Amino acid sequence: MKEQTRIPVGKVSRAARFVKTGAKVGGNYVKHYGRKMLDPSTSREQLDQDNAADIYDSLSELKGSALKVAQMLAMDKNLLPTAYQDKFAMSQYSAPPLSFPLVVKTFKQHFGKSPDDLFDSFTKNAVNAASIGQVHQATLNGEKLAVKIQYPGVAESVKSDLKLVKPFAMRLFGLNEKELDQYMGEVEGKLLEETDYELEVKRSVNITDECCDIPNLFFPKYYKEMSSSRVITMDWLDGFHIKEFLSKNPSEEARTAIGQALWDFYHHQIHNLKVVHADPHPGNFLMRLDGTLGVIDFGCVKEIPEDFYDAYFKLMSADLIINDEELVPVLFNLQFLYDDDTEKEKALYVSIFKEMTMMLGKPFHSDSFDFADNTYFEQIYKLSERISKIKELRNSKHPRGSKHGLYINRTYFGLYQLLNMLQVKINTTKPDWLH
Amino acid sequence: MEKKVKSQKKAVTKDFLIKHFIQHVLETGTEPVSVFAFTKSLKCTEKEFYGFFNSFKALQKSIWAGWFEETISSMENEEAYQNYSVREKLLSFYFSWIELLKDNKSFVQIKLEKLEKADMNPDFLGQLKEHHTMYISDLMTEGKDTEEVMERPFSDRYHKGFWVLFLMIMKFWSQDESEGYEKTDAFIEKSVNLAFDLVARGPLDSMMDFAKFMLQNRM
Repeated sequence: MKEQTRIPVGKVSRAARFVKTGAKVGGNYVKHYGRKMLDPSTSREQLDQDNAADIYDSLSELKGSALKVAQMLAMDKNLLPTAYQDKFAMSQYSAPPLSFPLVVKTFKQHFGKSPDDLFDSFTKNAVNAASIGQVHQATLNGEKLAVKIQYPGVAESVKSDLKLVKPFAMRLFGLNEKELDQYMGEVEGKLLEETDYELEVKRSVNITDECCDIPNLFFPKYYKEMSSSRVITMDWLDGFHIKEFLSKNPSEEARTAIGQALWDFYHHQIHNLKVVHADPHPGNFLMRLDGTLGVIDFGCVKEIPEDFYDAYFKLMSADLIINDEELVPVLFNLQFLYDDDTEKEKALYVSIFKEMTMMLGKPFHSDSFDFADNTYFEQIYKLSERISKIKELRNSKHPRGSKHGLYINRTYFGLYQLLNMLQVKINTTKPDWLH
Repeated sequence: MEKKVKSQKKAVTKDFLIKHFIQHVLETGTEPVSVFAFTKSLKCTEKEFYGFFNSFKALQKSIWAGWFEETISSMENEEAYQNYSVREKLLSFYFSWIELLKDNKSFVQIKLEKLEKADMNPDFLGQLKEHHTMYISDLMTEGKDTEEVMERPFSDRYHKGFWVLFLMIMKFWSQDESEGYEKTDAFIEKSVNLAFDLVARGPLDSMMDFAKFMLQNRM
């Protein structure tokens, strides 16, 4: 991996970078309409691709929380045209690393020893970049270890970064300010949590202990004595990221086993633990050809409040959707409807919501679901594109939908998306009370 | 009589004098009024003091120079250091330097606070500056071999720029209130990266080259 030659310094230059991107994106629109004048059949796809490339280029130089926001937006496929997806998905794999002397310094500060003294071997260059840190490979007593080190000053830059992203994201993703504020507030809280590596180790140990009985699922062991607020040491897991995995032509059994393990993993967390690994981006899953799955990175964990859980999963039962009288109170509960909505608005929102929930809840409505069905995903994208164009919704004075939904929706989108990529049919288990 | 006194007294060494000088500055905020008063309080003779230093100025210079040597030797003890690129060596130097200053933060702060903003060559850092200049020049020579540093008409004066950077880092650190001086880490990392981007081959060199070519060919 090539080391980054220069990191934009300070708020001003970061802002400058966004402005530059903004200008470029603007330019892309000009190009788009120019092309369209000459050739009316020009699709938005080219425009989206141009935009995605420029946005990605600038975000990847920003590191830290801006990169995280890119990842988050990348996961919310409903917010992003397809062209953005691939570009942003790359951000998990390639952020520029920090210098080795700083790594050594960080180690000395936290453990009183340099990495060479602490481990039998330690790679000088980062083998992988996490969004707010980088990963080195180490060995100790014959064991391969992964050592994650956080960039300095990340926590401090979270807030200023998010402020910068805000106007940019509003325009780019067609969100209104209220929606975005709610979104950003939740994201900020989670990002700050992610910078707390001690909390991450604690959570990782908890969740992995709770989930270790799920078949075909593997977790690294975490080493508390070699971890601190800025460093996490864990077992090195072998395996491939999903795209690489799929390029090796895995057998259908292997894909199905992995897909089922994914589903079971989330099922157990959401319905039994009510604490969920809310970062289902491809970089966190290591897949192996024997049909086993390694899960890493518990930086982003969402605790699901009980009342939200009840309301949210009630919607997954097919009967409720048909029954308006029961549905409407639930929608109030989830902050999708408000008291000062007019009857006309209410009717509109209820119909939108029904359609959306029917669509997203579909895997829950039968005992098994074929995620290989691309038409299902196209329907979702079409629907979300249509919803994003509904004027009333965009101009609404209230954000629609509870903020807790952000991470849960994102988790499900991420999960569905992974299962779709795996092209598998899954036994979609549900909690007993949903039957 | 005389023998008895000597046996009770601690041996006067360079470190002993430096330690008590720093202590005096920390406790009173000023230098001792005279070598006489200083040595009297330490129960030693002026002659013993002058055996090591000509003046308090010289003593102060040697404090900073001593820290420099300590930093270099601690770095060179690192196994990895020898394999570092020039950029990494310099990063490592600044990180280690700040680590060492942490043990003497109050003293450094007193000295740096009194420093005028534009004063790039304070007296007490004289010897340190010489060491630093040598060190940077060595690194630059090495960098030219590894092609990390571009040979330019003014490249023998790079050390002046790095000296300013060095002072900036110290000042930034002495005012840094972030947890564990994280911001200083970021400051060092970013500024050294920028500095090395500037001394490496870049668009400016191609521009100069091209400009020269155009000038020559218009004639």
